[in-house]
Amino acid sequence: MRILGISAHYHDSAAALVIDGVPVAAVEEERLSRRKNDAAFPLAAISWCLESAGIEPGDLDAVVFYEKPMLKFARILTTVLRAFPRSRRAFVHAMRNALGEKVWVKGIIAGELGVARNKILFTQHHQAHAAAAFFPMPTERAAILTTDGVGEWATLTVGRGTRTPGGPSRLELLREVRFPHSLGLFYSAFTAYLGFPVNEGEYKVMGLASYGRPRFVEEVRRTIVRTPDGAFRLALPYFDFQESARRSFGPRFVELFGPPRDPNDAIDLATAEGARYADIAASAQAVLEEVLVDLARGLRAETGLPDLCLGGGVALNGCANARLLRESGFERVFVPSAPGDAGCALGAALYADRIHFGQPDRQIPDHPFWGPEVDPAELARIAAEDGFPLATLPSDGALCEEVAAALAAGEVVGWMDGALELGPRALGHRSILAAPDDPRTRDRLNLRIKRREEFRPFAPAVPAEIADRYFELPPGGARLGRFMSGVFPVRPEWRWRLGAVTHVDGTARVQAVDRTMAPLFHRLLHAYGRRSGIPVLLNTSFNLAGEPIVNRAVEGYSTFWRCDMDRLVVGRVMVKRPRQAAQKPEEAIA
Amino acid sequence: MKPSRRDRALTPLHRWVWRDVDRRARKLIRFAETEAEGGRHLAHAAELTADPLLRRLFLRHALDEERHAALFRSRGQKLRRRREPDSKTGALDADWLAPGERGLASDGGLDRLQVGEMSEAALLAFLHLSEKAAAERFALYGEVLEGDPETEAVFGDVLRDEVFHMTYTRTQLGRVAPTRNRRALWRARAGRLWRAYLRLAGALAGLFGGLFLTVQYFLLLPWFAMAAKRAARREPDGWHACPAGDAGALESQY
Repeated sequence: MRILGISAHYHDSAAALVIDGVPVAAVEEERLSRRKNDAAFPLAAISWCLESAGIEPGDLDAVVFYEKPMLKFARILTTVLRAFPRSRRAFVHAMRNALGEKVWVKGIIAGELGVARNKILFTQHHQAHAAAAFFPMPTERAAILTTDGVGEWATLTVGRGTRTPGGPSRLELLREVRFPHSLGLFYSAFTAYLGFPVNEGEYKVMGLASYGRPRFVEEVRRTIVRTPDGAFRLALPYFDFQESARRSFGPRFVELFGPPRDPNDAIDLATAEGARYADIAASAQAVLEEVLVDLARGLRAETGLPDLCLGGGVALNGCANARLLRESGFERVFVPSAPGDAGCALGAALYADRIHFGQPDRQIPDHPFWGPEVDPAELARIAAEDGFPLATLPSDGALCEEVAAALAAGEVVGWMDGALELGPRALGHRSILAAPDDPRTRDRLNLRIKRREEFRPFAPAVPAEIADRYFELPPGGARLGRFMSGVFPVRPEWRWRLGAVTHVDGTARVQAVDRTMAPLFHRLLHAYGRRSGIPVLLNTSFNLAGEPIVNRAVEGYSTFWRCDMDRLVVGRVMVKRPRQAAQKPEEAIA
Repeated sequence: MKPSRRDRALTPLHRWVWRDVDRRARKLIRFAETEAEGGRHLAHAAELTADPLLRRLFLRHALDEERHAALFRSRGQKLRRRREPDSKTGALDADWLAPGERGLASDGGLDRLQVGEMSEAALLAFLHLSEKAAAERFALYGEVLEGDPETEAVFGDVLRDEVFHMTYTRTQLGRVAPTRNRRALWRARAGRLWRAYLRLAGALAGLFGGLFLTVQYFLLLPWFAMAAKRAARREPDGWHACPAGDAGALESQY
């Protein structure tokens, strides 16, 4: 069967194509449109998925949208009604928003793709999250926990999945917590309060939390209350998202925590105000973790299963994931490379395949590389046109030795290899790499290359088989580190050698690189280790602030051109920045 | 570079707009966002063009925009630190005076550069007119900021680049479209007028649409609201059973 999955209209639109039970292509729209967090209907992503498989829309057996638009619209209307008469603005906003495009999904899909309307299906939002979290993972029975801002009504679900190789699959969601009570919206309210953009800045809150002390935990607990049945509810007077489309926290929230941070003001952690923001971030993070751990413990006891699959945007919180692994009682915690809405495109397609059509289970390759391949010849052509020194290395071994030598000499390298990752993490195919030892490298990357806040940490990549030597990984930690989904302590004896990737609290969001998943990157790590004595590299996503991760070689080149990167590697083609900037265009010609 | 006659006629209004420190800071920070987004669009244009010289020029232009964004942001943040603690000028920033050199996506995209959908000639013509308008406007801002030499210096710095951008886009337009460059410029001018009309029409439609929906809100919704509130009161907190799925569930949008 040929099934296309689509997620769109809220954030991180994406498309994924599943053929005979196995994904063959998946990509976020932003990687093709070059608009970060592009929420538009993902026409470019769909076109690429179909082209890469050599099929036409008419060849599809089903197109599956990742949520039920009418049910979602009903929830939005109900929310407006419940907040009457304070929801006038929200009503106007919601009507314009929904009636403009979002409720006509079936017509849009039929019109844009020309597929029969009876081939268009709709999963529930959290079914898609659960399927994305469970089916691609190497486990046959697992408990499932999905949590995000909100789907239709559900904001958090618990359940379990079973699959038999070559046989039937089952995915059962047992219970849910419903809007407006949401861990995702709880965390987003703090994100907005701390002056970061919602749906984009949550990981900045996590980074900032490490600088603070959780001295506001009691205040935070007043905003989220545990219910007698073990779930939770938000103390709604503190929040505004149910009444306003623009604000997520209300005046009582401000009374409780003090004035919010203006997004236009820089955070100065040396000031009392900066420290207060960090303390509030630490407190929100601590409470989020304690609720999640408690929910997961209950699920472990109820299901008796050793594996947990996590889905939904909250599963991008690496600190919470690591704590879940340590404290929930689960032996293994699986987080897909795209647990957020982009991954729902894949989840929706897999759900339809396994559950709706009842197709037999197929083993899915355990990697995130479902996007377009990069073309080294494109870099060779462009760099030659612009007069950059260019080299084509004869073998992978020679390439790794050359790049390792450059990294050991302190160079910052843009690294593009093979197919693009699905999800927000660069996992060795679209990465900016640097030596992990010198904290000044981190500052250089933050200020002159990535151009982002100075408190933001960078992640280390390490061969999975020796990750435990440098990082305190609990049992199952390497699995969580496969897609950079967990934050773990750096072993104290190595912190001085890993200064650029050790966060202020002594932790790091480790990527444990498996040789079978990313062989060239794995080889590079060892080549670097032979030179420096420590096979760890700083690995950050290949993009500048406000831009999506690069896809094509020309995008890598454009990024390389505009920032202080020393070298760009695409496949075996390598471009070096000349000592004297040769890339200035002749103004006389202009 | 000199301000346009139209802008010159509005000098007293611009002087008033820029007089308040808080408003000035906000406008500079908004300019920073616009410049940063413009830089991203230009980088995208560079990634799409097959012309090596245009690629280099667009990349240089993108770098300039990023530098401008940093200049505007830094100055805006400095001014914010100087502002009156209880300043209340937020309601009127008069942004409609300058809807954005190339516009922000958050403005609804009316001014947004659709680089993937434009020919190189159309893009260069669009950029030329945008840069010219920005240069004229920035020249005026420099004049109305007599009491703030630091902000004036920022505009002076940015203006030098804008003049270069204005010049290169016109020269390159002549190169890539030697016989059609005048037509491309007229089309770009018409496009600016069309977008101005769309902005106005969109604002009016938004106003009337908002009014219509507000009337509906107060006339039709109260009865449903009462029922919804009653139902909400009966709804228990905590766990809910998930809706049972069935074989045909995926066909439903509900």
